[in-house]
Amino acid sequence: MWDKPGLAQSIQRVRIWYGALVAVLVIFGVRLFYVQVIEYSHYEAAALSDQLKEYQIPSTRGLIEAYDGNNVVPLVLNQELYTLYADPPLIKNANKVAAKLSQVVGGSASQYASLMHRPNTQYVVLANKITAAQSNKILSFQFPGINTQGQDYRVYPDGSLASQVLGFVNNSGVGEYGIEQALNKELAGKPGRVKAVTDTAGVPLAANKNNIESQPINGDNIVTTLNLPMQEQMEKILKNEYKATKSQGLSAIIMDPYNGQIDAMANYPTYNPSNYENVTNAALFQNAAIDNPIEPGSSMKTLTTPAALNLGAIQPNESFYDPAHWVIDGFNITDIKQDGGAREQNIASILALSLNTGATWMLMQMSHPGGTQITQSGINKWHDYMVNHFHLGQPTGIQQGYESAGFVPPDNPNDPSIDLRFANTAFGQGVQLTALQLITALSSVINGGTYYQPTLVSKVITPSGQVIPYKPKVLIRNTVKPSIAGELEPLMENVVKTYLHEGFSFMNFPSNYIVGGKTGTAQIAKPNGGGYYNNLFNGTYIGFVGGDRPQYLIVVYNIKPGVPGYAGSYGGQPVFADLAHMLINDSYVTPKTTQ
Amino acid sequence: MRPRQRSILRLTQPAPVTMQLGRKHRPDYWLAIWCAILLVIGLVVIYSISPALALTSNVSSSYYVIKQVIAITLSIVAFFITAKIPLTTWRRAYKPLFAIAALATLLALALPVNPLYPAHRWVRLGSFSFESIELVKFSVLIWVAGFLAERIKKGSITDFRQTFQPLLIALFFLGIVIAGVQSDLGSTGVLVIMMGTMAFVAGLPMKRILLIAAAVLIGLILAISAFPYRRARLETFLHPDSNCQGSGYQACQSLISVGSGGLVGLGLGNSVQAYGYEPEAANDSIFAIYSEKFGFVGAIILIMILAFFFTRMKNIAERLPDDFSRLIVVGVLSWFATQALINIGGMIGLLPLKGITLPFISYGGTSVVFSAAAVGLVFQASQYTTLKPLSTDRGQEDSRQQRNFRHNTLRRANY
Repeated sequence: MWDKPGLAQSIQRVRIWYGALVAVLVIFGVRLFYVQVIEYSHYEAAALSDQLKEYQIPSTRGLIEAYDGNNVVPLVLNQELYTLYADPPLIKNANKVAAKLSQVVGGSASQYASLMHRPNTQYVVLANKITAAQSNKILSFQFPGINTQGQDYRVYPDGSLASQVLGFVNNSGVGEYGIEQALNKELAGKPGRVKAVTDTAGVPLAANKNNIESQPINGDNIVTTLNLPMQEQMEKILKNEYKATKSQGLSAIIMDPYNGQIDAMANYPTYNPSNYENVTNAALFQNAAIDNPIEPGSSMKTLTTPAALNLGAIQPNESFYDPAHWVIDGFNITDIKQDGGAREQNIASILALSLNTGATWMLMQMSHPGGTQITQSGINKWHDYMVNHFHLGQPTGIQQGYESAGFVPPDNPNDPSIDLRFANTAFGQGVQLTALQLITALSSVINGGTYYQPTLVSKVITPSGQVIPYKPKVLIRNTVKPSIAGELEPLMENVVKTYLHEGFSFMNFPSNYIVGGKTGTAQIAKPNGGGYYNNLFNGTYIGFVGGDRPQYLIVVYNIKPGVPGYAGSYGGQPVFADLAHMLINDSYVTPKTTQ
Repeated sequence: MRPRQRSILRLTQPAPVTMQLGRKHRPDYWLAIWCAILLVIGLVVIYSISPALALTSNVSSSYYVIKQVIAITLSIVAFFITAKIPLTTWRRAYKPLFAIAALATLLALALPVNPLYPAHRWVRLGSFSFESIELVKFSVLIWVAGFLAERIKKGSITDFRQTFQPLLIALFFLGIVIAGVQSDLGSTGVLVIMMGTMAFVAGLPMKRILLIAAAVLIGLILAISAFPYRRARLETFLHPDSNCQGSGYQACQSLISVGSGGLVGLGLGNSVQAYGYEPEAANDSIFAIYSEKFGFVGAIILIMILAFFFTRMKNIAERLPDDFSRLIVVGVLSWFATQALINIGGMIGLLPLKGITLPFISYGGTSVVFSAAAVGLVFQASQYTTLKPLSTDRGQEDSRQQRNFRHNTLRRANY
């Protein structure tokens, strides 16, 4: 019968089939045990590596401000711009998306499309620095895998003004050069951090045991000591004198000697930080006034003289016999300025005529008063003044990136030519100072013996609005006795008068102001040793302007000016004169109260 | 030529359908209860991930729940229709059912597609959308059961021309349209295994079944090798971790969802994977999300519920002396079991991923309604079972006695 085996077979086959089904379900159960229990930690980690995202909540970078009269105005502002990026695996229809994007932000659609096809990445930057309006437009399309991220960019309302003092902020949000680098931590603040389990769009999901959150702390605002109109004037003067003196680089600083505050500091050539990315010569980023030490030449005598005076080695009105040349370690030291050969000279003429033999004589007096020999004890004393009184050979610690230490030779008694080496330092050769080191050292003499750390910061304003005034920091006390200032000032005023009489009419200043200074015509060492160039000089000038007392110190470094004559007199001095006249004419200087 | 003539004869003079139905008794209510439990589990998961779904697909947070509740309501109606209309009527209705299924498939192929789901599988009319394949499965189920039952009765079940040829031709056409044009390999698999199981239970010789299996295997290899995305999926399946950001994304995310559930799961409200990580979270991937929420314990409970449900159907099948109704029950059982295995197997990395729903649990109106309709048929059949499972011992019991269900059917069958 067909139905007998048929039915029985059918039922049997139902059971066989069912048995196979149950077997597969058991296999599934075993597999689930493997995936969910044995391999749990692997999959949990995989899940969290996808789901747990860490974000920084950017902090707002502090502003950098400066005084304009009594007002504080910003030198640097922030503007929020956006980075447009893609998450390639999430993109659908890349060509259409790319076409839309290029309509909004410009750029090549095909390039966007090829970026969107980049394999093995979830983050491709499509465009930088797009505006908020463009960003909103793009987000309104709701393309999956396309997003923008806001970032603060620096904006410079005054263009290149004080650019080398300010520095810039790179695309990673880190300050480079200048104040931006030195005070990056204070300006940047502290970004907040969110670590959260999120959806695929990165939106944190409600409370999860793996979530962490900390709020951002915004950066401090920095109010600089810079006097904006004075800074503008200085930059104008440097630009003009750069051309007039055929200079290869001009730096100047105006400092308040009584607290180390810098009122103006500039170099030329300079650059505009809003397009720092297009600057090809990285030297333009450097603030040469603090990071380019040179041998200052005879300007150094404004430090040698007070050191000798303070040691009691010389007296301000002392005379001595100048042989017109000294032979030290077999080398002739002569005066650059040939003023009639050997004869009786005095301290005033050492500065006015810039006698290198005179500066060498001062070092001899430090060695042994009345003597004509340089001894190790004299060298040690002068070295001690340079390093421990005038803080040379080490950075001042001003709020600037890449400050240079300069160079002071070691007073090593085993050095066979140590006498010559230190005789040179007495008139500013064989020693390297930045413009800032020179002006700060002289400030400590002029203010009566206090070496203030030079500063560009006047106030710090915290995000909560708390104003923290910057307290002048004393690095060294009693660099020289307070009386030395009164002895050095007339000597430097005499230099100015001497030059005026010699026909430098621009050194003519109104009689109700005191102006003193010293030129420096510095030989330039060949880079690979082997002595100095015969025909290349740097011109320097250090001086002061004031009424009853010196009110501002001015330093000028003119690198390789191309004008004939002594570089100090014809390259440094006119720049100083312009700056001094500017300070007087623009009423920065309080005139003498008694004539 | 003989079979063709016969079939023309059948068309013009339909033979009266007779079924060996026994005394009607109480239906198997547990069948409906397991169904309801599965529907509730699905609804709870869909409800709990609604906020995530609303975020990722930009609809209100009640959108999915409301649509699923409507689908469940419709499915209850469908269940009563199929449970009430006699099986004999269904057996006769295969032609109009086929006609409607063919029409729906043609509409799906002709109508414009949703850009998010570019395959021609949906009939979309306004806010109403309908997956034609579900109707095709339902009609094939009824046709194959009727066809095989008739061949058993005629004694030609082992005849090549009478039984194999029509089945192979049907398979061929279904393969071309569904696997080829609609590129729905998963549903084709369900249809093939459903037909194969029914043929197996109907008593086709094993040799021929293996022959069909070989033919299907060749078709499968052709279907995979002809389409690069299928090759990629197979590649992904074989090396799941190699391309988690590309073609293997869903496979990796599904395993992560399941695995990160751990022993007891993250809890009902705590799925993270539903927030955009797991594609088709409410639909094809609902088992992965369920496992993330309820862990190994929950996953095993769900598999056991499915097993109870399947066992229920198997118990009914082995108590049905009537060939047509038994084949219907076996067909429904293999339909659901195959879908469940393909779906879950894909989620846990044992099978390649296929876009196929988990019956009664996945979101999706058409699937829920037609699954319920199929269960309605089984529910109706459960009223005609014998007291004890039919014997498989060929020698000892008289099978004519077994067929004489009037003697061994009680008011309530004992499963």
